[in-house]
Parts: sequence; structure tokens; C-alpha cells
Amino acid sequence: MSKAGDWRNYKRVLLPPVKDLHRLDAYEANEGYAALREVVTTDKWTPTSVTDEVKKSGLKGRGGAGFPTGLKWSFMPPVDPEIPRYLCCNGDESEPGTFKDRQLLEYNPHLVFEGMLIASYAMSIKTAYLYIRGEFADWITHMEAELEKAYQKGYVGKNIMGSDFSCDIVIHKGAGAYICGEESSLMNSLEGKRAYPRIKPPFPAQKGVWGYPTTINNVETLACAPLIIRNGGEWYAGIGAPNHAGPVLYGISGHVNRPGVYEYPTGMLITDLVNEVAGGMRGGKKLKALVPGGSSTPVLRADMIDGVTMDADSLREAGSMMGTSGMLIMDEDTDMVSFLRRITHFYHHESCGQCTPCREGTGWLENIVTRIDEGEGNLRDLDLLIDLCSQMEGRTVCALADAAAWPVRYTIDRFRDEFEAKCKPSLVASGVDMATA
Amino acid sequence: MADFIKHPIVDLPDRKPDPVVPADQLHFSDEEKKEIQTWISRYPTADGAVMRALWLAQEKFSFLPPEVIQLVADEVGIPYSNAYGVATFYTQYFKEKKGKYVLDVCTCFSCQLCGGFDMLHYLEEKLDVHKGETTQDGVFTVQEAECLGACGSAPMLQITNGTYVHNLTREKIDALVDALREDKMPAFTSVTLPQDEDEMGGNRRTDVSSTETYQAGPVSETIR
Repeated sequence: MSKAGDWRNYKRVLLPPVKDLHRLDAYEANEGYAALREVVTTDKWTPTSVTDEVKKSGLKGRGGAGFPTGLKWSFMPPVDPEIPRYLCCNGDESEPGTFKDRQLLEYNPHLVFEGMLIASYAMSIKTAYLYIRGEFADWITHMEAELEKAYQKGYVGKNIMGSDFSCDIVIHKGAGAYICGEESSLMNSLEGKRAYPRIKPPFPAQKGVWGYPTTINNVETLACAPLIIRNGGEWYAGIGAPNHAGPVLYGISGHVNRPGVYEYPTGMLITDLVNEVAGGMRGGKKLKALVPGGSSTPVLRADMIDGVTMDADSLREAGSMMGTSGMLIMDEDTDMVSFLRRITHFYHHESCGQCTPCREGTGWLENIVTRIDEGEGNLRDLDLLIDLCSQMEGRTVCALADAAAWPVRYTIDRFRDEFEAKCKPSLVASGVDMATA
Repeated sequence: MADFIKHPIVDLPDRKPDPVVPADQLHFSDEEKKEIQTWISRYPTADGAVMRALWLAQEKFSFLPPEVIQLVADEVGIPYSNAYGVATFYTQYFKEKKGKYVLDVCTCFSCQLCGGFDMLHYLEEKLDVHKGETTQDGVFTVQEAECLGACGSAPMLQITNGTYVHNLTREKIDALVDALREDKMPAFTSVTLPQDEDEMGGNRRTDVSSTETYQAGPVSETIR
């Protein structure tokens, strides 16, 4: 049962249909910076009440982990004028299958700036960094031009709109590293270091960039903040699935007739998204498998998606995760072994090399899956892969090792017959201990 | 000295290779110095500006040999080892000389399933190079890229860390290679949201010269 209500008549709020909304004048004409004005210039709002409103909205992070945003904001320690505090907006969108944040940066950049400023107000932050991956060079240029206009109009910078709240926004250009999407390595990258993740605790709210309290939120998460202030937390909580409220940008790619980024409420039926929103399968083929939220979320077989909706609870029950809601749809002709081979190559390439289980493990995953894909694998390699996954998961500083292990574990688990068909027949049946056989 | 130090099992990078950039060109102009100083002022410590400074240096010198990294380190005011560490960590900083145009073909995930490898192999054949190599005339380098975040318009490629070319076909690659040989860079292309097509009849931006739509990728002939 869809939790998205009357989604066919849904009115978009993150990317409303307005011509040239990316320009400051068009944005201003459509309630742009009104929420920020209300927050900084009237007595209606205090930092605490903004955070409470976001808590009330039930907004969960859109970057993959789905942590409640209001709660994250309230982790910041009490204000000490001696100690600087920072906000980082994570625009290092590099999870394969995810291409939603780029649409926000392109079509509604001022909503992102406004969200960053409201979040900065809520946490009394004076400098906010917007980290955008280096590949988005064109979009960084656009964002810098729009930011300059916002500075000139007094929406950013010193004494915003005549209030005593000041906040600067700095756009930081990455240079191509998947790991920078992980919050602690993003901080190291900001500091001009190699982007190695840090051990937690201390969490960023205690010790973040340059050792000071820091909060890191995804682009889409922060873009929701002005909408919550404009319309109220209750309005937001009423959109979509009860436990995972709000509008979501679904990035649909793969073997469908109409791929693209679609804005709909959470809790959409996956079948609705594939068959109606994305126009059905390309060439009338049958659906074989689907990755619901970027490459690291476990793959779902076609027979596992009946009645499953796009929200954290429903997807957990189905055996996967919401992730970044970048959905990859695969038709019946897809070779799952080759598909997995390319994913393992990706993680091997992107492992930062700090922790041994990940640096070595991702390499071995790729080696073994490649061997199976080339018809040289043995049946017991499948068990070896699963064993390898168990030795990587939870044994590293950050979650990249887990993200690399999950696709392997679940693709083999859910398409084992295909993997077995590519393996050489083995003398010893799979799962039998060699020592006692 | 122990044998393994004299004869390492793995080839170690040359610590002090001969400089590639002539000494009289190895400097930043006053404007560039000013830009780097502006970036330094935006971070609590100078370190934060090193990535921007390396970008600036790469645009100027086209790649980052050790002497350029040293120049950046001096300008930002950090140790050479730090700057070198950063330059070697990130994929987009070129440590060796590349072609005039670097074609990064994405073959990851969605692009793999929508014909990314077909496009990569076609380009390899057309330019007579393997991935990672540069053509003899030094114009093109073909590379296989990891996900570039344009999965809906797969297959796609990126030209020298800049412009995206969406919905690749063989004809599009032919036209692109011809245009680049004449130094005509394709314009920034805005990809229209499917919902905008329905509700607004097309792309919402009126200030772009080139638009594309999200399209179903072609049937992939090769997947590796």
C-alpha cells in the first residue's frame, strides 16, 4: 500500500515548476529568502525553536544514513564565543546511481544557500562550507556566481538583512574521491589533507573541522530547512510515510523508458515508481532486480518488491535500505556477475587505503569476482567471498568496507544460481569443509 | 645498505625527477597569487586552500609534476609533503602529462548497464589507444571513470574535468572528437527534468544554449 497518498497530484516543493528559479530574482519572487528573513529578523524564532521545528518535521538525512536532522543539530555543544563552530554541506555526491543533489545545485541553488543559513542560525554558526565534488566543475562555477549575487543583496555575509546574525558561505571544490562523501573524511579534505576518515568518537559535533564543533548535512537535507520554516514542521511531517516524512528526489536510472530525477513524497510504491513514474521497462522487458538507494544498498529481486515502499521501515523489512534513493533498475538480460564485478572494481578503486581490511579486502573481492566472471572460479569461491565480507564489515574506521561488502554478500545471496552457473564444477560441494571432506 | 633498499621489489616513484616545467615559467602571476591569498583567507588555516591552489596550478601547467607541487606548497605556506600527499590522493589531479583533452568515460553502475563499455571501447578503437593512454599526437587521453553522477543520462563522458556530454552514442562521439580536434568545446548542457517536460513543456532554464533530456540508454553490447 502506497504511503505517498495522492502522489499523482503532488505539487513539487524542492524543485517547484518555476522558470529560471536558479536566478536570484526568480527565487525572490517565489518566497525566496522569506524563511530566512523571518528567522533572523523577527522574534518569532530563536535557534532552539528552529531546531525544535526541524525535529517536529521528522526530517531525516538524505545523504544515505537517514539520521534525524533535528537531533543531529541539537548535538552541538552550548555556544562559547571563544570557540568557532562550522557547518558543512555535503555535496560530494559520488555514490554510484545517485544524481539528485546536482539537480538542486543546478535548478535551485538559493534554496540550498537559504537552508545552510537557517541551519547556521539554528546552531549559531558563522562559517558554512559547501563541499561540492570536483567533477561538478560547471555547477561549482554557477553556484559561485549565484553566491556572489546573494552576497551583494545581503543575504549572506555580515549582518544578514540588518539583523545581528552574520554567516559566510565558502564553496569548496573537491578533486575526485568517493570517500569524501563520508563526513569525517570530508572534514579532512576541507582541512587540506588526504581525505582519510577519522575514528569516531569524538563525533564532529564535539571535534570537527580544525578540532571545532561541526555539523555535516547533505544538500537535499539542508534544502528542506527553508520549506519547514515556511510551512511548519507539521506540514512537512504530513508528507509521505509517517516515520520517514518529506519530499524526496528519486534518481531513477537503468533499464527504464524514462529515467531521471523525480520529486515525490517518501513512501512511494517501488512498482509505481518503475511502472508509472519511470514509464515502465525499456523494450517491454521484465524487471529482474533493483537497487533502491545507491550501489552500496542491497539489491532486491523482482519478486521481493511487491508492496514495498520507498521509506526506511518498509525497505528494511524487504531486506534493503533507503540510502540516497538513487534507484537502479535492471531488466531480465542483466548479467549479475558482471554487474557485481564492476561494483567491486569501483570500491577497490575508491578505498582510501587507511585500514587494511578495506584496502586489501576490496582488492580481493574484485579479484575473486573477476575470476568467477571469467569462468575460472570454483564453487567454494562463493563461500570465500561471503567469508571475506564478514571479515571486512565493521572492522574499519568508516563504513566504506561495509558498503563494499554488502553488494557482494547480498548479490550472491539473492542470485546464487547465476554465480554457481559461472563457476567451474567443484569436486567438493560448496560449503563443505575441505579438511574433513 | 640492504639489498632490498637498493633493489626495491616495487617500482618506487622517482624522488627528484628532472623538472618538466622550465624554471623561467615556474611561477604564479601576481593575479594568481592574489587569488590563492583570497582562498587562504577563507579558511582558518592556510592548509584549506591547498586544493584550490592545486586546481589553479593544474589549469596553468596542465598537470602537476613535483616542481609544480613544490611551487604550490611554497605559495600556500605548507610543507611539500602535505601538498604532495593531497595531489596524489585525488583522482582529478593529474600527476603525469595527459593529452590536451582528457575523455573520462563513465562505465560504473548505471553506465555499465546502459552501454558505457560500448562507448569506451568505441572510443579506444576510434583513437587507437587503450584506456589510460594518450594518442600519438597528444590531443586525446581516454580514461575509464568511476561514477560521475549523471546516471539518468547514461552513458556519458566528461571532458578534462569539466563539461559533461550526456546520452552518448557513436555518432555523438564522432561529432565530439571532430569538434575537439578543431578546439570547439561543447557548451554546458542542462538536462531537463522529466517532470519539467510534463509541467513546463521543456527545460526551465532560459539561459542555457544546449539542453538534453534524460533518455533510456541503448542496449549494452559489452558489459566489461
